[in-house]
Amino acid sequence: MKHFPRIRWAGALLGAALLALTGCGDGDGGGGGGQDGKVALTYRLWDEQQKAGYEKVIANFEKANPGIDVSIELLPWDQYWTKLTADAVAGTAPDVFWMAPSQFPEYVTKGVLADVAPAKIDASKYHQTVVQTFTYEGKLYGVPKDWGIVGLFYNKDLFKKAGVEMPDKLTWKPDGSGTFLETARKLTVDAKGKHPGESGFDPASVKTYGFASWNHYQTQWMNWVASNGGKLLDKPFGKYAFNDDASVQALQFGVDLVNKHHVSPPATQTNPPSDKINDMFKAGQVAMFPANNALLPFVAPELSFELGIAPMPEGPAGRAVNLNGLAEAVYAKSDHPAEAMKLAAYLGSAEAQKVMADGGYVFPALDGLAQGYVDYWKTKKVDVEPFLEQSRGTTFALPVTTGFTAFETKLVQIFNEMYLGKITPKQAADQAVTTGNATVK
Amino acid sequence: MTRPGANTRPTGPAGTPAPDDSGKPETPETPEATAQGTPVPGPAPAGPAGAVPPGTAPPAAGRTAGARARPGRKRGRGDWYAYLFVAPSLFGVLAFLLLPMVVVFVLSFFHWELLSEPTFAGVDNYRRLAGDAEAWRSVWVTVLYVLLCIPLQTVLALALALLLDRRVRGVRIYRALFVVPWMATPIVLGLVWTWIFDPRDGALNRALALVGVHGPEWLSDPSWALPAVALVSVWQNTGYNMLFFLAGLQGVPKELHDAAATDGATASQRFWRITLPLLNPTMFFVMVTNLIGAFQVFDTVFVMTEGGPSGSTAVINFTIFQTAFRAFDFGYASTLSMLLFALIFAVTLAQVRFFGKRTTYDLG
Repeated sequence: MKHFPRIRWAGALLGAALLALTGCGDGDGGGGGGQDGKVALTYRLWDEQQKAGYEKVIANFEKANPGIDVSIELLPWDQYWTKLTADAVAGTAPDVFWMAPSQFPEYVTKGVLADVAPAKIDASKYHQTVVQTFTYEGKLYGVPKDWGIVGLFYNKDLFKKAGVEMPDKLTWKPDGSGTFLETARKLTVDAKGKHPGESGFDPASVKTYGFASWNHYQTQWMNWVASNGGKLLDKPFGKYAFNDDASVQALQFGVDLVNKHHVSPPATQTNPPSDKINDMFKAGQVAMFPANNALLPFVAPELSFELGIAPMPEGPAGRAVNLNGLAEAVYAKSDHPAEAMKLAAYLGSAEAQKVMADGGYVFPALDGLAQGYVDYWKTKKVDVEPFLEQSRGTTFALPVTTGFTAFETKLVQIFNEMYLGKITPKQAADQAVTTGNATVK
Repeated sequence: MTRPGANTRPTGPAGTPAPDDSGKPETPETPEATAQGTPVPGPAPAGPAGAVPPGTAPPAAGRTAGARARPGRKRGRGDWYAYLFVAPSLFGVLAFLLLPMVVVFVLSFFHWELLSEPTFAGVDNYRRLAGDAEAWRSVWVTVLYVLLCIPLQTVLALALALLLDRRVRGVRIYRALFVVPWMATPIVLGLVWTWIFDPRDGALNRALALVGVHGPEWLSDPSWALPAVALVSVWQNTGYNMLFFLAGLQGVPKELHDAAATDGATASQRFWRITLPLLNPTMFFVMVTNLIGAFQVFDTVFVMTEGGPSGSTAVINFTIFQTAFRAFDFGYASTLSMLLFALIFAVTLAQVRFFGKRTTYDLG
């Protein structure tokens, strides 16, 4: 009997807490008119580093447009797409949001994205790979925002220690000739100081690896394929085609770096979902590591060695590097289409993109502003010029076709087996292409 | 024996320290009380408190069991506020459990690729399921996972409980330590164990190397990946299950053991003939909740292997996630969810029948 009152309180508290919790759920969602007759817009993004830059951009926009109130929503990458899909189904997606190449086909074919013609931007002034990425049936469905490009990050300290100079031009060929593999060999050292190819070299006791070859499509094998003249897709929104001879040769090269030349860590350690390779590079166990420049703000501050950037190796078909563009998408069913379009147009303007470039966040999609980004990173002692140089050469976008999100996990699994050496590149490519084409709608 | 459901109320939540107490596990009833031969041993669900479904017991339920069981309490007057107190939970059960189940059932008869309009599909999705080798493989993987986890974590938990069911110095500290893994979130566990399982730098293979064993490539070897993921579950759940068994052991009357010992029964005879049968209510609760949990495993698989290598850890919940949130095929994902529901339902029903025949609560 003594305990009874306490229980009642516990129950009441529990009930109150539950009600409060469930009550909260109604708070957000549904934009609509803000206070004092202002139009309220929502702008959604996924990068917490860039959010700081966009807070400045949005402040400028609001100053110039007193009638519009923009709130920025930040969601981590994984949640971003789940929530965006759910919101699009419910009809409550944000007015303006970031769009990525791999997700674009799904959203544009289902009518979620608005044609940005009303924003009246001059598409010819933006990086053309980005413009093409977000073009569907001749119309542009997003204001080009920025691009990120793959470059070769390298550990200058390890080069110095090995007494190796980074060649002016790295080259590779499927047969293993070229300056790239040679450099990678010199930088790979086992416990007794031996290099691959020398007698007594023990692949099981490697202390530093010359290169990181691993199962990552954007920064790895797609670049080998493209620079060997292979094809990822037969055409935009088409079918996968990377099981042709040139592609298979290129895949074989990527795998050989691991299992035959031993200049890269074994796939047992690097296969996704593990992202251990990032840590290995940061810890100075890997000398050369292809990565997107978007990784700089996350990696550079943590390094205990001097970071160099080099252009990616040139293949038999020249250099072809993945350039990944993003776009500011406008929701097709926005309650305030005119204002949303205005915001998107502003985000694509020189004024807005200059803020993002000068802050060292991204290479802006608009031509002529990249110097600000280069200058920012110069103050951090990183020379990012090679990224820029590559962007003027041959670049390719990720394979943009429907169903990629469903295909991605299977693609990664199949190629994990390939990097482990359990199936041949030909088998892996055939399997992947067949599986991938089954997901194309 | 009447309806099995009515008789097989688990001792679980009512008799054990509630989750928020788990840091400092106490024995709910003093040994003296049981020794006096209380007709219903303390932890057993004697009254209305037992009606609280497993897992949803309010934190303080353990202490109320006795108070509410007072005989002769009149029903009726004033009962309305009981419903008031139940209302928030009831709302939760309706809105977040039953309603979604109905929605999923309905959706399983539709084609719905999220961003387009749903169209009625009849039994199309079920026909597709019948011929979907990948789905059936994920069922098989799930069953294997359950078989790897459940026997091991149950036996270990019981063994631990027997070891720690005595008065030795620091026993409370040991009990608490074994429950710590249960408090960590599976995502964090998955990440930490991924480091431990690293074939070259991981703690596990380093330790194995010390005794001259060359450890396997845990997470990238199709024959080791599933056992590795299951091991994490065993490691996490054993301590928590031990708590239930500890509480259950408190309910085994000492005089039965004394009498049996006097009659010359060996320790192992006493365990098999007295302790184990009297633990049936606890065993039932532990088995039901653990089996359901194991059939629904997702987080650790998601973090550690993403269903790989070669689909060797693609449990059914992972396949459902892929179908719904990667392929955006909500209709078919709902059908797969119904399959999982049917599986769990069948297994649970079988347990209710099995334990229903073997469980006695009243020792009077």
